[in-house]
Amino acid sequence: MEHTIACHGCDLLVDLRDMEHGHKACCPRCGHSLTQYRHDAIERLMAFSIAALVALVFASLFPFLSFASSGVESVMTLPQTPGSLWRNGLPAVAVLVAAFIIFIPALVLVLLLMLSVPLARGRYRPWLKPIGRWIFHLQSWSMVEVFIIGVIVSLVKIAKMATVTLGLSFWAYVAFALLFTFAMSVLDRYQLWNAIEAAEGARG
Amino acid sequence: MTEAKTARELNLASCHTCTKLVPADQHRCPRCGSSVHLRATDSLQRTIALLITASILYIPANLYPIMYTDQLGRTEASTIIGGVVLLIKLGSVPIAAIIFIASVMVPLGKLIAMFYLVFTVERHSPLEPRQRTVMYQITEFIGKWSMVDVFVVAILVALVNLGGLLVIRPGIAALSFAGVVIVTMIAAESFDSRLIWDEMENKNDNRPA
Repeated sequence: MEHTIACHGCDLLVDLRDMEHGHKACCPRCGHSLTQYRHDAIERLMAFSIAALVALVFASLFPFLSFASSGVESVMTLPQTPGSLWRNGLPAVAVLVAAFIIFIPALVLVLLLMLSVPLARGRYRPWLKPIGRWIFHLQSWSMVEVFIIGVIVSLVKIAKMATVTLGLSFWAYVAFALLFTFAMSVLDRYQLWNAIEAAEGARG
Repeated sequence: MTEAKTARELNLASCHTCTKLVPADQHRCPRCGSSVHLRATDSLQRTIALLITASILYIPANLYPIMYTDQLGRTEASTIIGGVVLLIKLGSVPIAAIIFIASVMVPLGKLIAMFYLVFTVERHSPLEPRQRTVMYQITEFIGKWSMVDVFVVAILVALVNLGGLLVIRPGIAALSFAGVVIVTMIAAESFDSRLIWDEMENKNDNRPA
């Protein structure tokens, strides 16, 4: 049973022995993707998480978009997006937006670093297991890629009203969204928990 | 698939968090410590309750304005559908299509698809389990894309603020609509797609070719 997984889509038992670097396993009955093996998954997680966090810091510091009409200009930054919803009487929506586009993805990245740094060195730490549980719950609530589409739609909506300029932070957020998506594509329940188990076993 | 077996047939439960196979009489995963069940608890009841909640929230989300535009002392309220119509008038048909798909078709389609899935499982329907699983996977995947419209409102409110000249304010439908998206996402998560396949094994023990 060591190398067997039950498909999450239909409960079929699938044998996962002999997976090589880059191999991806799918359920033969319902087509659900099961796992993908990469021998450098932990290093990739670490690299993408660090890069994505740096990009997020840049995305929060500079102007995101600016809007000018008849000589008047208004500039928007990333933290102002939930901020102005709050001031306009929708605090609940403000909290949700801030969580989906900034705080949940940032927390996922920090937790990923707390996992991948010890695992890359083959060390076991007591927080590996709780983080390994939380991270998969949090992951499905990150909406960075949806926000990028939101920005593009907004640009089209107001492009005819005035001049809109993309700021440095916009490009930083695009980089952040890409890096975050790469990190999530490497995150794999089966492989990560095997790594945690191996680190725990090696502790002796 | 000659001798393919499911975990349930061997009396094993798969840990949802770490994928370890655990004897079904244990309630905690020995590897990661999560609680383990053969099938998600009360999956159908929870899913249907959440679907009804989302359907109710969907009504104010469409009836009330999602944003207001104050231009030179004149206030214009726009609903979700109103926004789509405005975009078509502005000539941005592709963007109107994105918003129409994300804000109208996806939430409605999701509600209909999930009601259909719960209904067929409840009726023990043996219909096309593979197609229904794909339907569920698509529903689960596209769920969060409906938040686009809420994000658009958030961005426009933060960006368009030119004092008395031109200001955009959010409307109460943004709250109901965010509610629809979140509740349907939780509904999709609480539905256990393995129930679709269980029926097949109960009906005929010799698997169809």
